[in-house]
Order: sequence, then C-alpha cells, then structure tokens
Amino acid sequence: MGSRSALTELLWAEKYRPKSLQEMVNQEDVVKRLQVFVKEKNMPHLLFAGPPGTGKTTAAHALAHDLYGEDYRLYMLELNASDERGIDVIRTKVKEFSRSKLPVGIPFKIVLLDEADNMTADAQQALRRLMEMYVDVTRFILIANYPSKIIEPIQSRCAVFRFTSLKKEDVVARLKWICSHEKVVCDDRGLEAIYEVSGGDMRRAINVLQAAAALGEVNLSNVYKVVGLATPAEVRALLKTALFEGDFLKSRDTLRKLMVTYGLSGVDIVKQLHREIFSSEVSMPEDLRVEIADYLGEVQYRLVEGADDEIQLSALLAKLILLGKPLRQQLQPAKPAKR
Amino acid sequence: MSLTKKLPWVFKYRPRKVDDVVNQEEAKRLFIDWLNSWSQGKPEKKAVLLHGPPGSGKNSLVEAIARERGLEIIEMNASDYRRSTDIERIAAVSSRGGSLKSARGKIIVLDEVDGVSATADLGAVESIMNLIENTSHPVVLIANDPWDPKLRDLRNACVMIEFRRLTKTDVKKVLRSICLSERLECEEEAVNYIAEKAEGDLRSAINDLEAVGEGFGKVTLAIARVLLRARDRDLNVFDVVRRIMISKYAWQAREASTQTDLAPDELIKWVHENLPRQALDPEDLWRAYEALSRADVYLSRIVRSGNWDLLSYAVDMMTSGVALSIKNENYKYKWVKYSFPETVRLMAKTREVRQVREDLAKLIASHLKCSISVAKSDVIPYLKVIFDNNPEYAAKLALGLNLSDSMIKYLSESRGDIILKQVDKFRQEIRKTKAESKTTNKVPEGRPGSRHTEKREVKSSKGLEDFFKR
Repeated sequence: MGSRSALTELLWAEKYRPKSLQEMVNQEDVVKRLQVFVKEKNMPHLLFAGPPGTGKTTAAHALAHDLYGEDYRLYMLELNASDERGIDVIRTKVKEFSRSKLPVGIPFKIVLLDEADNMTADAQQALRRLMEMYVDVTRFILIANYPSKIIEPIQSRCAVFRFTSLKKEDVVARLKWICSHEKVVCDDRGLEAIYEVSGGDMRRAINVLQAAAALGEVNLSNVYKVVGLATPAEVRALLKTALFEGDFLKSRDTLRKLMVTYGLSGVDIVKQLHREIFSSEVSMPEDLRVEIADYLGEVQYRLVEGADDEIQLSALLAKLILLGKPLRQQLQPAKPAKR
Repeated sequence: MSLTKKLPWVFKYRPRKVDDVVNQEEAKRLFIDWLNSWSQGKPEKKAVLLHGPPGSGKNSLVEAIARERGLEIIEMNASDYRRSTDIERIAAVSSRGGSLKSARGKIIVLDEVDGVSATADLGAVESIMNLIENTSHPVVLIANDPWDPKLRDLRNACVMIEFRRLTKTDVKKVLRSICLSERLECEEEAVNYIAEKAEGDLRSAINDLEAVGEGFGKVTLAIARVLLRARDRDLNVFDVVRRIMISKYAWQAREASTQTDLAPDELIKWVHENLPRQALDPEDLWRAYEALSRADVYLSRIVRSGNWDLLSYAVDMMTSGVALSIKNENYKYKWVKYSFPETVRLMAKTREVRQVREDLAKLIASHLKCSISVAKSDVIPYLKVIFDNNPEYAAKLALGLNLSDSMIKYLSESRGDIILKQVDKFRQEIRKTKAESKTTNKVPEGRPGSRHTEKREVKSSKGLEDFFKR
C-alpha cells in the first residue's frame, strides 16, 4: 500500500468483504452450488436464510459480481432494509426494473431484497406476482434472518439456501488473515475472545477486531476493553439501580439517556439487558435471572409488535424494582429502601 | 346498618323534620299555612309552586312535611310529562275519594315543571292545569325557574313560594354535622372549599363531601381540590393526571380523561411521566405499569389493525387500570409537583444530534450493505471506541468514510477537535502528493475510501436510469 492510501482507511468489514464467490472462505456447500449457477449462466429465484453476519449479503453480491463482472451493479436492483420497501415501491420501482428489457449479452437481471423478512405480507404478495410474471428476464434474491416470515408462496418459488453460524476456526482464521494484511499483532486468545463475544457473526467480529487493533494489538485485554467500552455502562447501571437501589426515577432517567443519547432502540436495550442478567458480574439469585429473562421476552415481543419503547421498558423497570425488593431488604436490613 | 351505610349521603341525610330544613323560614311558613288551609275547607288555590335554586331545599321540605304528617307522596318528574297517560293516571288518583277528610292522606308532587318542553310536551301544561282544577289532594309543583313564559298559566293557578339561595354558612353547618355523624376527620379549610364551590347548592355540596370523604376516609383540602376543581370545564393536563391518580372508582378515573382534549396516545405519556411520583410502593408501581403497558399494547394494536374500537380499552387501562392499582394500605395521597413528559423535551433538545446519528448510520449502512439498525447497534459503538482512543486512526477512517465534521464530533465528544485537526493535516498531505503526481505525470493509483465509493454509486445509479428509460 502506498503512502497516500495509508492516509485513509475503511471499515475492515467493507475492505475485506469477499468480492467473488471464490474468495468466500465459509459456507462451502452454498458457495459450490452458487458457482454452478455462474457457470451455467442461469439460476432460479433464491432465498438466503440464516443468522446475521454469516455471509448472505456478501454471497449475493459475489454471485452478481461473478455473473456480470466488476460493473455488476448495473444489472442489479438492490433494496436494503433501510430503503422504503412497502407495497408501493414493489409496484413501481421493482416492477419497472423487473419488466425492463435485457441488455445484450446478459442472461437475466437481479433484484436483491435484503432483510426481506421485514417486508409486510402485502408487499410480499405483490412481490410474488412480479416473480412469476418477469421470471424470463429477472431473478430475485431474497435475504432473511427468519425464513418463516417469508410467505409460503414465495418460499415455494425460491431455491432456499441456509447459511449456518460460522465455526470458530473459520472466524479465527479469517481474523488472523486480516491481521496479517494489516500488519497488526494478534494472539489466539484475543481472536478466540472476539469469536466468543460476536457469536459467529463475522461482521461484528471484524468490527471488534478493528477497534481492538486501534487500541494497539489484538489481545485478550484489548478485546474485553473494546467490548466494555462499546456496551454502554448505563445498561448495567440500569439493571443495578432498579434491582438494588429500587430507585425508579433514577433508573428511568438512565433509560432515557440510553435511548436518546446513545440512540439505542428498545429492542437493543432488551437484548443487552438479557446479556447482563446472565453475566457473572451481576450477582443475584439464580431464579431471578430466569424470571427477568421471561419478562424480557414478553417486552421484546411487544416492542416488535409495535409497542412504545419507553413505556414497555419502564414497565420492565417497575418489575425489576418489585423483584429486587427482597434483595434490598437483605442488603440493608436496618435502612429501608428510599423508594 | 350496612344498608344505610351504602345509601348516598344526600338521601341518608335528608331532613326528617321540617325544622331540619335549613334556613328557609319564610318558605316553610307559607307552605305550612297553605297546607293547613286544606283541612279548613277549600283552599283559595289548590296548588303551590315551590321555586328556587337547585339544592335549596324544595324537595326536602315537601318530604319532611309529608313524613311529619304521614302523607303519601305521589310523584312525577320532567321525564314523565310527555306521556299523557301518566298525567291522566295522576289525575285519576288525585280526583279519587273526593271527600276533604280523606284528602289528608295524599300529596301530589310534580317535580321539575320548568323542564316541560313548550313544543315536545305540547298540552302538558294544559293537562297539569286540568289536574289542578279537578284534584282533591294538595298539588305541589317544583321548579328552578318559574318565570318561563310557558308556565304563566300555572303561575296564576298556584301559590308562589320562593326558596332562597343558601348561604355558605348554611352549607358549612350541614357539612360539618355530616362529618360528625360519619366520624370523618375533616379539615375546616376543606369544608370551606366544598361549600364555596357549591354556591348555595346543598345537594352538590353533600355529594362532593361524600366523594372526598368516603373514598379517602378523611376530608382534606388537598384531596378536595384535586377531586372537585372545575367539575364542568376542561381541566389542564396536570389536573387530569392528578384526578386519574387519585380516583378510587373506575368511573372517576375514566371520566377524568374525558375532561381534556389530549388524545390517548398523548395522555399515556403524561400518566407515564407522573405516575412514579405518586405510586411509590413497588407493588403499586408495578401494578400501575402493568396496566399502563397494556394500554400501550392496545394502542399499538390499533395502529397495526386500524381497529379504533380498541381505543376504549386502551383508555380503560391508562386511567382506571392505573388508578385502581394503588392498593397499598399505607398509601396517603400527597401533593407532588407533576411535570411535562421529559422524553418529548429531550427529543426536541437532541434533534440535531439524532439527525447526525441517523445520517451516520445511513452512510455506514451503504458501505457495509447492512440495515441502519445494524449500523447503529453493531458498528457505531465500535467506531466510537476507535474515535475515543486513537485520533490518528480515527482521522484516516473519517477520510475514508467521508464523514462530516458533525459526525466526527458525534463519534468522539472528548477528542473530536483533535481528530478534526488531524483530518485537515491529512487532507493537505493528500493534496500535496496529488499535485506532485500530476507534475510527474503519473497515473494515480486506485484510491480507496470515499472517492472509490462515490464512483461506484454514480455508475450504478446511471445503470438503473438506463433501465428505467427503456
């Protein structure tokens, strides 16, 4: 790398994203089948399903790259979860693209719909019609964390590819490879710790790696430091204030700080709390962990169904304060809790 | 005992004797004289018209006399007037047993005669006139406002007896004696407040006293204020929330919510903001939040399903559900300062920061081909670690990702300025080497980072445009 390019840097998760199928180091079965499509220049509609960070989006782009070359984006319409993908967009933008004529020498165009499981059932129905009508010129690749949220008729029109959580060896090997390219010092314990905290999600693993590298070298203590810094201390504070101090107003202020200042969604907070209650650093009776987990599940369900973040999480705080009452009495037998 | 306890106080404490009727001596004298005239032969006028403001004792006087003299009251009120059969039934009773001696047994009371409608109850006044003409029993008409033109004929046919508006002192006297009988602890200021608010209407004063005293076991000014203020007009939001919190009955809490223009999805925020200041016991608080979170679930179902019928359940839970969850025996209502929903304020205050975060998440999402929420939860936190700890590396990333100055400051509050300076330094260096490479006529290397991405995006959008043109 020249001196000029050393003055700018990208996120490694982008920089080291495999460009072609050949570069993909995992999901061997999936990759092999996709390479056959490239060879034959033909493929059915595809549904990529699996946990986050397992290479679904990467595989879709690599497939298109291998089919069309460097300028593959000319022949692919990409609609992310961030884009509007309601029924109107399906009927206009997607339809327009799907029905358009094929450029010379191109066997078919591709419509890529990331996080398709977040699309409404209406939009999926509209999509299904397009998949039938323009199959001669357009193929769809749908990506989903939860294939069960894709309506049955679409599933049956797609070849389903299941992406599995990455294995520890694969993640560690990839991280090590990145480190050698970046000339970053790393050790196995640090890399293994990254695997543990990222739970087989390659994107998150690479983000942790890059942050740890920015602290110096990739070792156990830096990895834990990164994870600690990236998890707002307020999440644990929230849990502790509610359980052990029983102070509702104080814990609600913390909650608001997390949501407004850190921009965490209600679901983010629920998930982080879930991690916290099973952490050995928060001591509480074991049955309490289970009871809290149970209610966290209820709250997350309600939030996903459209309930209000702050009110549902405040209800959770009230629950924690109630559950913590016997603990507080044990802690301070002489002094009753303030609130 | 238990039965009388459940009687509304206005019935329970009705005057039993004429003497108990408060401060209407003139009216009492006139009425008794007229009634006595029945036993001394045919009275000049066979009907009286008792008139005066509400709650001044008109009905009470009639009832007290009837009780003292053992008269049977045959009663009819405004809602009955339009049914001529009812008036005829009364007329039949009143004309029966025409002997003067037996006349003592009954008294006919037509309440709320000013409620007769001139159009809808056409002929009602005429029927009443007939009744008065043919009656063998004393007829008592009662009205708040006797000066309505439609009642002119009736006025002429009746002895007019006026009831004065009761004074505050009169009302207070009664309220105090009720407190005594109910063994209620009772603040003088509270009694004063209730009496003043009643404006001479003893009936409403007793109702108010009951609402405060029965629910809370004592009558304090604080409770009276919250519960009784401005019964008829719109309340400000604080008072609505306060009324919800203090309500002892489901209907009270629900009614409070009707006294504001605030939509339920707004009201729930106000209740949420102030509920924990009032419900301090952990069990109460949890019950209240259980109810409130259910209300919120109903609201979300309305949004999803468009089924507005569910709204009333949402309101039930955020009003009555919350009010009735306060069950702690030691709970005492205490006035605390309420506040405006803090989140609304915070959101307004942080609008700019949140916009920066949103733009940053979008930018990252386009680089990593992930969703904005993944960018927020899985990328930005790690970027922050880098920006807080390694300014030089952060500056390189800032250049590579083409971050704006405000994004850089967002990513590191403490070291944003250092990073910005570093970015400037790098920019100058890049410019310098660029100039050098031009003079030496070298082909520039493929530049990573933002320019690369930009180039790609231009291409892809051009490609799509081509498709749409076809």
